[in-house]
Amino acid sequence: MNNLLLVEPDYILGNEYKTGLERAGWNVIIAKSAQSAITAADKVYPDIVILEIQLIEHSGIEFLYEFRSYPEWQQIPVIIQTQVPPSEFFESWDLLKNELGVVSYLYKPHVNLKKLISTANSYIAIKM
Amino acid sequence: MGRNIKDEGEFSILSQQLLLSIAEELKMPLIQIARLSENNRANELKNEITNTVIQETASSALRLIDNYILGVRLTLEPQNFEIEAVSVSSVLYDAGQQLEAIAKNYGVELELNIAGKFGPVSANKQGLQAALVSLGAALIEALPALDNCQLKLHLATHRSRYGVVAGVYADTKQISAQALKTGRKLQLSSRQPLMNLTHSSGAGVFIADAILKAMDLSLMASRHHSLYGIGTVLNPNHQLQLIP
Repeated sequence: MNNLLLVEPDYILGNEYKTGLERAGWNVIIAKSAQSAITAADKVYPDIVILEIQLIEHSGIEFLYEFRSYPEWQQIPVIIQTQVPPSEFFESWDLLKNELGVVSYLYKPHVNLKKLISTANSYIAIKM
Repeated sequence: MGRNIKDEGEFSILSQQLLLSIAEELKMPLIQIARLSENNRANELKNEITNTVIQETASSALRLIDNYILGVRLTLEPQNFEIEAVSVSSVLYDAGQQLEAIAKNYGVELELNIAGKFGPVSANKQGLQAALVSLGAALIEALPALDNCQLKLHLATHRSRYGVVAGVYADTKQISAQALKTGRKLQLSSRQPLMNLTHSSGAGVFIADAILKAMDLSLMASRHHSLYGIGTVLNPNHQLQLIP
């Protein structure tokens, strides 16, 4: 099974995404904060990261800078799935894509589990 | 009672910033309901549990709207909301009852610390209860996302030299006067003004703030034994001591 690190601060949503993604064959590790996400990534080498950027204390962007500073994590695809609308990303998208290796942006209110799963699957072939 | 709306300035419950923050806040329960329903369709065994979670998620969104509406009415029609002799213990008990289901949804334990005789205080019961429920719900949603924090929320009251304090408390230093001060400042410009406390827009905290302001009370950081929290200081009501 491939490991998916889900950085999601909301307890209910975290559980629901985990349920859906596990049903699709992923091994899901949930982290609620930027700090716990770094710790989790260190313990379980993730094959992909799904990241909410609106977190408590340190934002998802701060997490990304820290995450990408480690050579072994520089090639791991990161999908941003957030409640922050696309209009607020317009100016920073180039930075996120080119410097921080974000492969996809998903706006949470418009993305169902099916779309989330197909996006994650498109970057990694699932090992069952 | 009641404050002049002009005095409220841009931090009023009527402000566009608060409305924006409520709109942001309401996205969350709607996304939760959508994802819960989606999973529910795929797993029939979970139906009953999920239906309960969906029901309470919808209720908590409706409660947020109702509390906002109450804040607006308290501000616009203060004459319709009398200041009365209120039992803090009973208000906290009722607030706890309202928060029980949402706490369960978030895996948070609720504890009521109302031991002791505090006598009646002066407040509008409906307003005080709405403010405490609004605060409690905001913290219940935030606690699971905080690192190194026990998933337990205390609804508590104690006497201080300023009066009787009623509030919500947890074992995290992230709930602080500084967080509240910064949050009020950032409310005008940030989508996450209480960044050290909650991942959401913090609408519940700002609604409580506005409701309390409309009753000439204020929301402040407070300690209860070793716990950190937010609440308000209430004046003892000496006119009427005989309340149930």
